Amino acid sequence: MPYTEKSKKDNISPEIICALATPEGTSALSVIRVSGKGSFEIMEDVMLLERNRLRGMRRKVGNVTENKRIIDEVVAISWPEGRSFTGEEMVEITCHGIPSSVREIIELLIRKGARRAEPGEFTKRAFVNGRMNAVQVIALAASWDKEKDKRTYPGETEQVCRKMLNEIERAREKVEGNIEFGEMHLDSNDESIGNILIELVKKAENFRRIALSIEKSKRVVIMGPANSGKSTLFNVLTGKESALVSEEPGTTRDGSIGYLEIGGRKIQLCDTAGTDGFGLDKAASEAVIKGLDGTERVIWMSEGGRIPPADEVRSKIGEIIEIEAKSDINKKKNNTELIRISSFTGEGLDELKKRISELPGSMSLSGAAKRIEEEIKGAMEYLSSNELDMAAELMNEAEIETRRILGKGENIQISVERALAGMCVGK
Amino acid sequence: MKEEYDVIVVGGGHAGIEAALAARRIECSVILISAKMSRIGEMSCNPAIGGISKGTIVREIDAMDGSMAKSADATRLQFRMLNRRKGPAVWGPRVQSDADAYAREQQKYLRKSGVFVLEDEVTELTGKTERVGGVKCRKKGIIKGKTVILAAGTFLKGRLFRGNELWKGGRIGDISADSLESDLVKRMFHVERFKTGTPARIVRKSVNTDVLEVQKSEKSDFIFSFDNSRISDKEDICYATHTNRDTMEITKEYLHLSPLMAGRIEGTGPRYCPSFEDKVVKFPDRKSHKIYVEPMGYRSRYFYLNGLSSSLPREAQEKMVKSLPGFEKSVISDYGYAVEYSYFHNSEIEDTLKLRRTENVFIAGQICGTSGYEEAAGLGLIAGANGGRAAKGMEPIGMSRMISYIGVMIDDVVRKGADEPYRMFSSRAENRLHLRQDNADRRLYDTANRLGVLSEKKRDKLLENLKEAEKVMNILERETIEGIKMTKWCRRTGNNAEKAVAEVPSLYGMDMKILSSVMLDEKYSGYIRRNLRRHESRRNSEKINLKEIESYMNIDEICWESREALQREKPDTLAEAEKIKGIRPTDLQGLLIYLSRKRSTWNTTDGSER
Repeated sequence: MPYTEKSKKDNISPEIICALATPEGTSALSVIRVSGKGSFEIMEDVMLLERNRLRGMRRKVGNVTENKRIIDEVVAISWPEGRSFTGEEMVEITCHGIPSSVREIIELLIRKGARRAEPGEFTKRAFVNGRMNAVQVIALAASWDKEKDKRTYPGETEQVCRKMLNEIERAREKVEGNIEFGEMHLDSNDESIGNILIELVKKAENFRRIALSIEKSKRVVIMGPANSGKSTLFNVLTGKESALVSEEPGTTRDGSIGYLEIGGRKIQLCDTAGTDGFGLDKAASEAVIKGLDGTERVIWMSEGGRIPPADEVRSKIGEIIEIEAKSDINKKKNNTELIRISSFTGEGLDELKKRISELPGSMSLSGAAKRIEEEIKGAMEYLSSNELDMAAELMNEAEIETRRILGKGENIQISVERALAGMCVGK
Repeated sequence: MKEEYDVIVVGGGHAGIEAALAARRIECSVILISAKMSRIGEMSCNPAIGGISKGTIVREIDAMDGSMAKSADATRLQFRMLNRRKGPAVWGPRVQSDADAYAREQQKYLRKSGVFVLEDEVTELTGKTERVGGVKCRKKGIIKGKTVILAAGTFLKGRLFRGNELWKGGRIGDISADSLESDLVKRMFHVERFKTGTPARIVRKSVNTDVLEVQKSEKSDFIFSFDNSRISDKEDICYATHTNRDTMEITKEYLHLSPLMAGRIEGTGPRYCPSFEDKVVKFPDRKSHKIYVEPMGYRSRYFYLNGLSSSLPREAQEKMVKSLPGFEKSVISDYGYAVEYSYFHNSEIEDTLKLRRTENVFIAGQICGTSGYEEAAGLGLIAGANGGRAAKGMEPIGMSRMISYIGVMIDDVVRKGADEPYRMFSSRAENRLHLRQDNADRRLYDTANRLGVLSEKKRDKLLENLKEAEKVMNILERETIEGIKMTKWCRRTGNNAEKAVAEVPSLYGMDMKILSSVMLDEKYSGYIRRNLRRHESRRNSEKINLKEIESYMNIDEICWESREALQREKPDTLAEAEKIKGIRPTDLQGLLIYLSRKRSTWNTTDGSER
């Protein structure tokens, strides 16, 4: 659907964002990115160019000028909507890498109507505008992370996943076709399904290896009133050997840190002080609550599920799993919504682990990749025992999971948000 | 005949019959109007009932006390469980039927139930469209009714085609309901055209069956009905043959005379039940296609050629049939033809099968855009039940797609619409492992009970099954076998009811069918729960409220075109937003990001620097 004249005149465009895209500090050159409808106009303004000189794919050399004072000589490259990184109208300004002039240019752009970009906002816009999918975003985030192996490039990961999806679709088509038509209309050929699955297993294994290499561990916080069994649960989930004091900087105020593995994925677990404590406990708990950024994943537990999280807590977390703790003592089921857990008897622990792995924010690439691999291997086994119904079910599951990480159909924006939040400004 | 009926059913096909019977079971007075009484319940196409997923629908109909299963049992000539070696969740019971006997059996159920059957042509609805008063018939004039159920099949402005021949009719030898169609169009109902077709019928004794592949019935104690109804003791042989290069060449030679190829049929045909012409065009590399030769009835004088549907001229059909081995000297008794007909666009239909713009008109069968006897009957039962409930002032009841194929079908037809006649496939059901033929009675008991369509006798029988299943379940939970809990043991490949009985004495004497069915429930339970959970979370995301958004114009997560569309339509929920034309998945994700950002502190500085 083309833009209508009316929408142009209304002039309610998305906000224009700008930020430095190269590292801060002195260097030969720096690049500033400007994105959003109207970026061309702002740029033409600050470079004193005639209207529409930046329309299309253009490159203009000129001076950025404010009140007749030249700030810097720059090269402006314009990227039209649909062809830029973000998918929006976009300008890349290559200027001299002098911190003071870079700052001045950005401030000028802001005065002209742009605003400072949030961390990862360029990438987010690229995602929202359909220029990138979740795998690309996560892979991009990982490849930017200096700690990580730089040999994996975002495009590659995504391609591997996309090819796998194609294969899964092809295999499913075969299996479903055999179920629906094999008996009456087709001369069934199960052998070809088997061969496709063998190839598919290889693809899935490969994808998992790549996924593992680009991923960070995820964090889940255990909270609740004092004496609800948080630390016991923490110890049971992480195993006795887990460290009581974290070596990770900036996380000590959260209390103990430990790791558990679910489905081949590492999840960071934080134990915290009771929310209803006194003195030091109280201070620690308040620090935890203060530190919540609205996206945290929290396990809330209280004995028998009697104490629900305070509104203040609830409003500052992203996802929550509520638990009826000490189910061995409290035999009566109070609330069917809550998971009944006993760290003592082990009741509900599997269910809890499952729920943790299902938390939207904790959807990680390698966890998903492992599940996909397992589903495909399972499908193959069922195929050999002539249970096409089960083979089809597992293939379907593998497809849903793959589509989810490719951002086709299922919503995974929360994990993408997370990946974006970890990026530095300008990317 | 009465002055006024609770329910008027228009049409006496597979949909109309189930609709009339269902309405009777909830104690409505029912009149069924058919253009030709003698053809009520006729199998207009192939003489068979069931198949993969279709057979399961038949059992679902029986679980709601419909008549299709019992009639199919009573008139079967052969039985086969399709997909026997592909997993119990995709087993498809199918019977070869005596077509005439089947129609007679169905007519008998109508008579016995007290449905008043009238031979006449309905020419229009009466009264306002918002609330119709009844129907007007060509001979009997106006008949008043509290609700009207339209089940006109292929008769709405039916046009029959064969080569250059074109004539009016909903089926060969029948009238076409042109007046009714133009009344519906006048009332501004959105109708579209579909086409379907049927193959030639061959005189049996003109075929040399010695050279054909013989297809015999499978030995099995399977019964469609959960009532252990009477099974026909008659059996007949089916045959199979293959088309060859000649058949294909002949078809190609006459292809230009096909009404479809010549552009005289506008309607879309079914992709999965194509005419032979279609197959030649779409699969030019296939040298041979399998053709099933099925008797029209017990020792019937006619054969049905399953797989050779055609609307080519007589001459071409003659040559095509004679090219088949064994058919060199065959005589065609009825030539194949195509039929084009009007059906209701899905935007007109609610999930109770009521037409959206009326209070009291329901539709069922092919006019919903479906194809197939079983699909029609399933829709008929629900339209009849809800139509009957409406007449009695009771709330209509919708069907969940997670517990029945009928629910899947209605949901698909109403929500997605069809661009070709809708045929049921097992792969359309995301909860396929649960929607099995063996547990239809237990799956649907609650729904059937709420609909009120169960006779006392049926309810007793179904309750008995439920109780037995509960007993079995208790034993499975209590007993161990090979050192593990029976519920877990059921999940292992290769473990079945026979093995279980041999190992666990307390299972001795249990109904084997129910035992095996409950064991399958247990085997698949983890997957079924996962499907239900996913369905639920999808529904929850559908519940995401968009009412708090005052203006979409400055949500920069969404592209411009979509902002305008959303601003114009102002959807209440995310699900509604999804349905707006031109809205892409990335826009929905953008909306979610926007909403989550509004709620989180992640981006509180948003815009404050301006």
